[in-house]
Amino acid sequence: MITHQIYRALRIGIVFLFISGILAPLIYAVWLSFSPDSFLTPPGNEWSLRWYRAFVTDDRWMMALSRSIILGLACACLALFAATTLAYSMERYHFRGKGSLGILVLLPLCIPHAVLGMGLLPLFYISGLWGGMIGLVLVHAMICLPVVYLMVRDKLRRIDPDLEAAARGLGAKPSQVTGRILLPLWGSTLAVGFVAAFAISFNESMVTLFLATPTTETLPAIVWPQLRYAPSPLVAVASVASVIVALVVAMAFGWVVKLVGAKSLTKKG
Amino acid sequence: MKPGPYLLASPAAGLLLGLLICPLLLVFRVSLYQPANGHGFFTPGTWTLANHSSLLENHGIRMVVYTMAFGATVATVNGAISFVLALFLRSLNSSLQNVVFAGITLPKFASVLVILFGLQQLLGDTGPINRLLLASGIITEPLSMIRCFFGALIGEIFLILPYTAILLFAQVMEIDPLLETSARGLGASRWQVFRRITLPLSLPGLVIAFQLGLVWGMGAFLGPLFLGGPENTTLSVEIQRQAFEYSRWPRAAALSVQLIFAIGMGLSIIAFAKSKMTRRLVRGGQ
Repeated sequence: MITHQIYRALRIGIVFLFISGILAPLIYAVWLSFSPDSFLTPPGNEWSLRWYRAFVTDDRWMMALSRSIILGLACACLALFAATTLAYSMERYHFRGKGSLGILVLLPLCIPHAVLGMGLLPLFYISGLWGGMIGLVLVHAMICLPVVYLMVRDKLRRIDPDLEAAARGLGAKPSQVTGRILLPLWGSTLAVGFVAAFAISFNESMVTLFLATPTTETLPAIVWPQLRYAPSPLVAVASVASVIVALVVAMAFGWVVKLVGAKSLTKKG
Repeated sequence: MKPGPYLLASPAAGLLLGLLICPLLLVFRVSLYQPANGHGFFTPGTWTLANHSSLLENHGIRMVVYTMAFGATVATVNGAISFVLALFLRSLNSSLQNVVFAGITLPKFASVLVILFGLQQLLGDTGPINRLLLASGIITEPLSMIRCFFGALIGEIFLILPYTAILLFAQVMEIDPLLETSARGLGASRWQVFRRITLPLSLPGLVIAFQLGLVWGMGAFLGPLFLGGPENTTLSVEIQRQAFEYSRWPRAAALSVQLIFAIGMGLSIIAFAKSKMTRRLVRGGQ
C-alpha cells in the first residue's frame, strides 16, 4: 500500500518535471518581458511594464500586430472553407483523381518551408502578388490546409451519412440538410479547425520571412531579425502579446461554439 | 441542386496546385537559370547546370551530409523521447494525461520564435542554468549549450516533440492492455512483453514519428539558425542566405532541389528499413 503511494507520488513528480521542462522557455520569455533594464536579465525585486509601454506606443509593432491578426483571421476562414469542402467531397463521393488528391493535400507537411519560400519567391516576383496581403493569405491557407483537413475529415467520417440521406428522403432541401443536420454535428470540430489555422498562421515565420515586404510586415517578420542580431526585452513583450492573442481567439471561439450550440438545441426543442 | 465533388474539391485543389506544385516546379526551373547579370535575380531564358556544381565541391557535399545527419539525429532522439513519453502517459490516469496534454499544447499557441527566444536566453552562457551550475560549483567554466550542435538539436526537438508525442500516444493507446497482462501471466518477462508485443504493435506509429522527425529535422531552419553554431549550416539555412544575403536565386533554388532529393532519399531508406524490420519482428514473434 505504501509502495503504491510512493509510485503515485513519483509519477506526479515526473509529470511536473516534464511539464516545467517543456514550458520553461515560454515562462522564461514571459518573465524577461517584465525586466526594468535594457539587458535581458529577469527582473528580481523590481518588475516593470516599461517594455509593454514601449511596445504599445510603437506604431511599427502595433501595425505588425494588427496585420498578423487580420492575416490569421482571413487565412483561417479560407483554410476552413477549402478544408471543409474538400473533406466533404472526399468522404461522401467517389470520383477520379481522389487518391492523388488525398496525397497532394498532405504534401505541404513534407516540404521544408525554406524550399517553399524559395519557390514562392519567383512566383510572387513573376505574378505580381509581391507586397500584397492577398498572396500571404493564400500561402498561409495552403500551409494550414493539411492540419485543418485531417481534423475536420476525421469528424465527418464519424457522422453517419444515413442521417443526411434520411433528411433528404423526408424532403429537406440541401440547405436544410446542411444547416440542421451537418453543421450542428460538425460545427465544434470546424471551430477547432479555425482556431488551429489561426494559431498556425499567426505564428508562421518562415514563409513570412521569405515574402515579407515593408508593406506586409507581420509580427514574426519584425521579431526575427531582432532575435538574430539584437535581442531586447521588446522581443519578449512581442512574444507575450502573440501568446495572449492566440489564446484569446481560442477562448472566444470556444465561447461562440457553446453559445451557438445551446441556441440550436433550444430551437430543436 | 447539389454541388458535385469536383466543385467542392476545387478551392483546396486550386490552393495546392497554385501555391505548392507551381512553386516546386518553379524551383526546378530557377535552379537551371544562369545567375543574374546586372539586374533582376536570374537571367531568363537560359539553361545551365552550373548552380548544382556545389555538389562537386567539398563543402557542398559536407552540407548535404550534415543536413541528413542532423535530420537523422533529430528523428532518432525525438522519436525515442516521444515513445518513452507515450508509454509513460499510457500508465497515467486520465486527469494527469490531460495535464500533460495541456502542457504540450500550450507552447503551440506561442510563436516558434518565442520558444527559441526562451531557449536562447535559458541556455546561454549567462543564462540561469549556467549561473546555477557555476554557483553550485559543479562547473568552473560556463557550458556552451547554444551556438553548437546540441543547441540546434534541443531547439528542433522542442518544436517537433508535441506532434510526435501526441501521434505516438494515440498509437500506444490502441494496444489492448490485456495482451500485455496475459503475456505476463503466461510467464513472459517485462522485456519480452515489450519486445514481442508493445514494440511491434507501436511500430506503425514509430515509423511515422521517425519520418516526420526526419523530414522536419532535415528541413530545419530556425533551430540551427538561432541555436546552432556557424559550422552547423543546414541546407535550409544556406538557401535563405544565398537568396537574401547574396541575392543568388538560381543557387538557392539548386540547393532547394538538393534538399528535396535528400529528403526523398531519406524517406525511401525508412520505407525499405520498415519492410525489413516488420518481417523480422513478425518472424521473431512466432
